[in-house]
Amino acid sequence: MRKLIALLILSVFALSACTSIVQTQIVSSESFDINNWDSIVAAANGQTVNWYIWGGSESINSFVDNFYGEALKDRYNITLNRVPVADTVDAVNQVLSEKQAGKDPGAVDLIWINGENFATLKQADLLYRDWANKLPNSQYVNWDNPAINRDFGTPVDFQESPWSSAQFQFIYDSARMQPEELPRSYAQLKNWAIKNPGRFTYIAPGPGAFQGTRFVKGALFEISGGADQWATFDQTTWDKWSPELWAYFNEIKPYLWRQGETYPKDENELHSLFANKEVDFSITQAIVGAGALVEQGLVPQTSKAFVFEDYMIGDFNYVGIPSNAPNKAAALVLANLILEPEFQAAQILPENGFGLGFGIDINQVTDTASTTLLADASKKLGDAATSPSDLAKSLVGDSAAQYQSLIEEGWRQYVLLNSK
Amino acid sequence: MKKILNAAIRFFLYLVLIAPLLLFGVYAFSERWFFPDVLPSTWSTAPFLRLFSDPKTVGGLLTSIGIALVVSLFSLIVAFPAARTLGLRRFPGRQFAWLLFFLPTVVPPLAVGMGMNILFLRLDLAGSFVGVILSHLVPTLPYTIFTLSGLFANYDENYEYQAIVLGASKRRTFFNVTLRLVFPGLIVAGLFAFLISWSQYLLTLLIGGGKVLTLPMLLFSAVSGGNPSTIAALSLLFIAPPVLVIALTARQLNQHGNAIKEQY
Repeated sequence: MRKLIALLILSVFALSACTSIVQTQIVSSESFDINNWDSIVAAANGQTVNWYIWGGSESINSFVDNFYGEALKDRYNITLNRVPVADTVDAVNQVLSEKQAGKDPGAVDLIWINGENFATLKQADLLYRDWANKLPNSQYVNWDNPAINRDFGTPVDFQESPWSSAQFQFIYDSARMQPEELPRSYAQLKNWAIKNPGRFTYIAPGPGAFQGTRFVKGALFEISGGADQWATFDQTTWDKWSPELWAYFNEIKPYLWRQGETYPKDENELHSLFANKEVDFSITQAIVGAGALVEQGLVPQTSKAFVFEDYMIGDFNYVGIPSNAPNKAAALVLANLILEPEFQAAQILPENGFGLGFGIDINQVTDTASTTLLADASKKLGDAATSPSDLAKSLVGDSAAQYQSLIEEGWRQYVLLNSK
Repeated sequence: MKKILNAAIRFFLYLVLIAPLLLFGVYAFSERWFFPDVLPSTWSTAPFLRLFSDPKTVGGLLTSIGIALVVSLFSLIVAFPAARTLGLRRFPGRQFAWLLFFLPTVVPPLAVGMGMNILFLRLDLAGSFVGVILSHLVPTLPYTIFTLSGLFANYDENYEYQAIVLGASKRRTFFNVTLRLVFPGLIVAGLFAFLISWSQYLLTLLIGGGKVLTLPMLLFSAVSGGNPSTIAALSLLFIAPPVLVIALTARQLNQHGNAIKEQY
């Protein structure tokens, strides 16, 4: 539905762009030099930053208000206005509509963004450019890492700045299963599913359910024997391996929850099936594993995270500034604050409620106090989390963006609708 | 026998109506409630405390109430003359006027909302309370006009003439005769407007652009997060004001209904 809105606005936008002369741009009155950080901080003084952010998690909401909101006020005299949206696409639609109406300055200063939403705004040329590498704390960001400088295959080009990281993991209930019973690869998972019919399911791959797509991609990596060959798009590689991929999912299909006729549509549905003991595994992206979910009471207290030996896809998420943002200086200060080692350390702790991983590379932090802080935080992830060494060992990057839709459409056609 | 059957059917209907609310009530006070537990293992008022300590929720509640009240008032003011004319007069183009007033209920709100958003952005009304209130008038007006015109269809203008003949001024006639006669209908129409404005999500989102935060927007984003206790607590908070308004006006309506019956 929201996707539809985005598409409609985009098409109207494209049409009107063809027919009308470019709207006169009102140059925003705030003056700062992007290369002079002091001028940015001075311009941001007294501003309000309107941060459009997915508002579905109370714990993330309060983390944002308490940690960033207070620090912005105390240190920079900036007011944080967190605007909760039900889906990031709503914020993207807002920016697209503003552009179409020629409204500059608009309403949005900062968006929590990644993947297709970033690609949409970047393609429409609606993002503020060349700023992410100008932040003082950008020194902690490993811009050479392809997982950071490409967002689902789209070059980031310093049009967004990282916030946190996530990695695909499974969740099990230690009251129901022992660690040695857990499958550690897709091959073992198949055997486990056959032995325990109806006890496993996964999120249906599709737009907005990237965890499901990621689960299928992991299988593709394992079946084809490596993740590296999928980093660039190649049709012949796809044609070679995709039949085997669909064969795998059709083999396990009859042993899934409801014989694989229906699948949960997002993480929440899977968590709920898992919590109500209909299935034995759930899926998460959080670095604290099941920790934040246990705190929120969404899954049993005995829930823990685990990973396979290999092919657990990880990625980063970012913040972006629309080109018509009314308070760019304040948005820049906030994007920089997010990367402060003290807040990076705070965001991974389960009790603070955010629960995603570092956006910075802790090896690039040199000052001793910060290094200790970050290392301490890593140690305090709790026993609901996967150990950092297991995470690191199984970590692989995402595939080239072209495979995303091939996998989603192929899965629908050859697995979901396959009645054999 | 028939009595028992009636009672059984009645009980069943009440149950169907109330069961979801009861479930919400239990969820709102539970912390972890998983199958196969019949009742939550831990009871807690934490979801409600969290809601009321969150300035956004309290602000959203007040904003929602404010917008819905202003929308009902405006909606009545605009609908009153339109409904009176449509209900009392026969004139060429009357059917066309009806069609025009009903268009917003037939056209998908998404189409209306997107067009309005672009227009309001150009007029600098987007992102403001005024803009949101104006946009809410679009879906509420058909209902207020329809309710009021039904009332005017059975309305006897001779009461007004009587008052004028007896020497009452136009103003006095309006307040002491017209308004009193249509008052219960006004309440019903206002209630419709209140409820429709109260539950608007799409228009508030599009026109408000995130700057005007109402309860439905918080509810939608909470639903996308899938925490059942939070959703239940927020839902209870969401249905409380309309239920309260209906309860209050029901009493008013009855009193006025009786008063009018006595007059006749």
